[in-house]
Amino acid sequence: MSEAAAGGAAVAARSGSTREIKRVLRLALVGLAAVAAAPYLLDTYTVNILIRSLLYACVALTVDILWGYTGILTFGQSAFFGIGAYACGLAFSHLDLTPTVAILAFLGGLAVAAAVAALVGWLAFGYGVSPIYVSVVTLVLPIVVTQILFSGGTFTGSSSGLSGFDTFDLSIEAWFWIAGSALVILTAAAWIFVHSDAGRLLVAIRENEQRCEYLGIDTALLKTLLLVAAAIITAAAGYAYAGFTDVIAPELAGFVFGTELVIWVALGGRGTLIGPVAGTIVIDLVSAYLSGSLPFVWKLVIGLAFVVVIVALPQGLVPVVGGAWRRLRRRPASANGDGLPILQAAPPRPRLVGADGGPAVALHGLSRRYGSLRVLEGIDLAAGAGELVSLVGPNGAGKTTLIRCIADGHERSGGRVLVQGTDIGRRAPQRCVGFGIGRKFQTANVFETLTVAECLRLARARRERPSPWRREASLALPQAALQVMAATGLDRQLGTAVKHLSHGMKQALELAMVLALEPSVLLLDEPTAGLTKAERSLIGGILSGLARDHGLCILLVEHDLDFVREISSRIVVLHQGRIVLDGTVAEVIGSALVRTIYAGEEHAIAGAAG
Amino acid sequence: MKHRLSAFAAAAALGAGLALAGGALAADPIKIGIPVGLSGANSVVAPSVVQSAELAVEEINAKGGILGRQVQLDVADDGSGAAGAQKAFDSLIFQKKDDALITMETSAARNAGLPIVSRGKVPFIYTSFYEGHSCNPYLFVNAWVPDQQVAPIVDYFMQKKGAKTFYLVGSDYAFGRGMLQFTRQYIQKKGGKVLGEEYEPMDATDWTAIISKIRASNPDALVTSTAGGAPNVTLTKQLRAAGIKSLYGNLAVDEGTAKSMGADAAGIYISASYLTSIDSPKNKEFLAAMQKKFGADLKTPNDLSVPEYEGVYLYKAAVEKAKTTKADAVIKALSEVSFEGPRGLIKMSKERHAPLTMYLGQVQADGSVKVLESFKDVDPGNQCPKLK
Amino acid sequence: MSAQFLDIVTTAAIFYVVAAGLLIIFGVMKIINFAHGGFLTIGGYAALIVTQLGLDPWLALPFAALVGLVIGALVERFVVRPLYARPLDAILATWGLGIIIGQLITIGFGREVQFVQSPVQGAALVLGESYSQYRLLLVLGALLLAALLAAVLHGTRLGLMTRAVIMNESLARGLGINSGLVRFATFSLGSALASLAGALITPLSSVDPNMGVPWLVNAFMLVLVSGASLVSLGVATLVLGGAQVLISAYGSPILGSLTIVVLAAVILRIRPQGFARE
Repeated sequence: MSEAAAGGAAVAARSGSTREIKRVLRLALVGLAAVAAAPYLLDTYTVNILIRSLLYACVALTVDILWGYTGILTFGQSAFFGIGAYACGLAFSHLDLTPTVAILAFLGGLAVAAAVAALVGWLAFGYGVSPIYVSVVTLVLPIVVTQILFSGGTFTGSSSGLSGFDTFDLSIEAWFWIAGSALVILTAAAWIFVHSDAGRLLVAIRENEQRCEYLGIDTALLKTLLLVAAAIITAAAGYAYAGFTDVIAPELAGFVFGTELVIWVALGGRGTLIGPVAGTIVIDLVSAYLSGSLPFVWKLVIGLAFVVVIVALPQGLVPVVGGAWRRLRRRPASANGDGLPILQAAPPRPRLVGADGGPAVALHGLSRRYGSLRVLEGIDLAAGAGELVSLVGPNGAGKTTLIRCIADGHERSGGRVLVQGTDIGRRAPQRCVGFGIGRKFQTANVFETLTVAECLRLARARRERPSPWRREASLALPQAALQVMAATGLDRQLGTAVKHLSHGMKQALELAMVLALEPSVLLLDEPTAGLTKAERSLIGGILSGLARDHGLCILLVEHDLDFVREISSRIVVLHQGRIVLDGTVAEVIGSALVRTIYAGEEHAIAGAAG
Repeated sequence: MKHRLSAFAAAAALGAGLALAGGALAADPIKIGIPVGLSGANSVVAPSVVQSAELAVEEINAKGGILGRQVQLDVADDGSGAAGAQKAFDSLIFQKKDDALITMETSAARNAGLPIVSRGKVPFIYTSFYEGHSCNPYLFVNAWVPDQQVAPIVDYFMQKKGAKTFYLVGSDYAFGRGMLQFTRQYIQKKGGKVLGEEYEPMDATDWTAIISKIRASNPDALVTSTAGGAPNVTLTKQLRAAGIKSLYGNLAVDEGTAKSMGADAAGIYISASYLTSIDSPKNKEFLAAMQKKFGADLKTPNDLSVPEYEGVYLYKAAVEKAKTTKADAVIKALSEVSFEGPRGLIKMSKERHAPLTMYLGQVQADGSVKVLESFKDVDPGNQCPKLK
Repeated sequence: MSAQFLDIVTTAAIFYVVAAGLLIIFGVMKIINFAHGGFLTIGGYAALIVTQLGLDPWLALPFAALVGLVIGALVERFVVRPLYARPLDAILATWGLGIIIGQLITIGFGREVQFVQSPVQGAALVLGESYSQYRLLLVLGALLLAALLAAVLHGTRLGLMTRAVIMNESLARGLGINSGLVRFATFSLGSALASLAGALITPLSSVDPNMGVPWLVNAFMLVLVSGASLVSLGVATLVLGGAQVLISAYGSPILGSLTIVVLAAVILRIRPQGFARE
């Protein structure tokens, strides 16, 4: 790319992001103006209802971020709403209404909500916990909170709650402005966040959390932080709700409300922000009006709409409307932003080669058992920087398992794994990445709905924290990754969505992403699977170059013995979970033992033996 | 000149006259709102409350309405709880713009609705018995409070049945706790012993744990105060199924619910301001009118629904005395007017509450209630000393 | 003491009956049927119809099961089958269905709380305690149900196919087993069981459009903690149900009602397979 063009692209990228942010801010101002005017244009009853709806919409926004964007299905936001509300109601019922009490109660409510969210995050996002368990915990949470409120006797008012406490002396207009402006500001902030670089991380987690972990991203921590942020916002909304309505009751924290929030978000359109907000306000408003005349029928309609949307229209109703609107105006759907980042070389990191120049990766007595089935037994292996070690063996020999045991401290049953001299212990994959492991999976394990550039930026997340409000103009990648991009033509496809790439390109992308981690040990699982002959030699050349020029230690699992013979410096043969041979290419290819193991694979061996 | 002026004056006078006459003829209805528990714990008794109100309104409208205006009812479901009550009250006061609220509700709903009543400045006649001490400038109560209701049962158990030990069970909310707190104090004042006091949330249906505790402590008498309707039935059913033999006084069950419980209800002692067997001409007239209007759909009038009937009439009397539906004047008049209803003469004259005649009865096997003792004009005590 | 023991055993039996239908659906289809609460309610109202028609209360049981079977079959075909690949969405869709069922019942029967005739009334003298006969009968019912389900699973061809699908659906399909049919049969049976459970529990308390909801969450947690095994469900109901009874008795009933959900959540965190063997 020429200087001018590069500069131009950078300007385009930055200004694209900034232009969008400016547009959002302008829309927010319009929204604020509407909020200011509304109480004078609507009747009191509607304003009354809307204040509540607007506060609910703030909560729905958090549910959308958690569920629509990050894939955490939560029924429990109502619990935090209740916590905020009870903080207000309890304080004002049992203490005098002074500014100090009000502020302390507010902060207290937020603190409790944050603490509970942190606990839930620890419970729900631990290692090896299934996604259904998250929903379970979030379902249990409002039930527990409700029961705790019930057990509070006269302190919490139990089933009836408390009401009539002294509360803020604000006019209905003032409450409307508070609720409305809070919603506008939150929506704008959320919009900027999800369209920033960091926002892409949410989608990545939803789509392929495993890949995020293997990129060194601590997804559990991120999800917990999101949950805590959502809890704080929701508790604040609950506090305002109690202050306005002057009533606190256990239903505010209950699981019926929690599931209603999910329904509103689903109907409005999960993952669209505007959809849930609009959906919540509209449904709540209409419910209030219809609850007198057609109460059961309306609920039935909502229930039906919900089921239909889940089954047939999972994207929700607002996007359907939005899509129709767009088609009507015949505006072409724009590509993912008009400015693509330019690639730069990242400053090379000094490569540590172990305290005493020891091996990059060393396995001692590694074993893996499933009950009585021994997949790996007594594996001793060491490989150093610059070596390209191929692991071969018949199917079921345990090759992929071995790779897993190196990359994930929880996998193995026994033995030790040392990377750069450090024992990985029982650490999760994201921690192992920190020691220098980069794992490329057998089937291209990338983020289908993101673009190439976004995938690469996520791969760099460990080194350069993605911005939570803008899209950066440049993307720094290490030389190795840039080489792969240039060699495969990926650098001309930065704006393409991954799902539109060919299989070979996806494999190359994943390799580039792993290289972006600047690993010292690269673990590759059948990198040539599904590639054409030309692509294979390309990859082969790149890999040898990586070992030779960049000092990477590469462990590669392969079936294609021609490929193995061409690029490896060393071959390790696995059979029935044990290493049967570990030597140079010549030694292994010529070995009789290998021939017997591969009986049936004569064409591969015959060439060597003959 | 003078010519035109006088013509103009005549036209103006005619116009004004027509307007006035038109105003009188237009006569928009007086709207009474009834937020009531159509769903939830009170759903068993709510239909009877609505029926009482409907009869009262029909009778009033047949006689020309109130101040020449017809009366219209707006019913809204408060879900027997705080959250639903807010929506119901909001809808009736701000959307339908009702002139008054006259209803029976759970204490949870009432407490949640009161701030809205204050904001909307609407008279609110609460027609349900409750735990007492609920005070609000717009609130009037024409049903009993513990000061009127607990003594008959406890005195009867201790004096006539020799009971010394008691066990108290209630629904965990303002009413349950308030009633039992008063009961406990009364029992202890009279020298009795309370072996245990247990609560379950309003919507609870499984009383197993509490029943086991009752069985273990074997009290002479059991006094319960649950939310009206479903909790009464489930508790009684489960008590009977477990074979508990203690004396059973229920502070919160009405005749209609007792009837629907069938054989399980036999033997329960109740203390009420209304029983269908009250032998007065007014009561007989009332029952006949209800039977005529509702026929087979009639829900047994009871201690929760009859005060509703009287409440509507009390409102009528107050509006007629104040000659307007404006809240302040009506509020003033409500403590001064009275109505002779099925329960006798009702006047909400003591700190927004009403002295009442109380009856102690026992439910029979056929569902009817046998009156054991009656007490005339029992004072409600000092419920709202700060209000006049 | 013996009162507590009886409470524990009868509570466990009741939970077993309620959760069994949910368990088999979870085991075969790996989804949680959130409409389970709705089916419990359907069963309760089926029993109500029998009471209102003045028929023998025992008829409520087969009637409820039949109604549940038919509705369950329709639900599987139109709601659950399209969501086979989206388990979280299946949870949501069945929850929506539960709402729909609740509303339809409200429209049809009114919102009031109503009561059904108990087929067996009164108390019996057991272990020196006067105890509700109906509750004791439910213990028998739970045992019968477990025996019946075990017989079907281990004694019939459909049962064999079902066990294969539970263990490894893709392999089963590869062997020519019609997993679609198994799923259909399982869901219908699970719904029938839920309905039957609804009819069984309603004489203990009452019938209202939302009666199923409190049972749903407890049943859901019990199923998660049991994996796909009827035996571990029995263990779970005894352990967790027992804990609930004890905490209600010696602590407070309110905390007691939390016991099952909290304990189950903790157990699952420590041992994700719960009480199941592997």
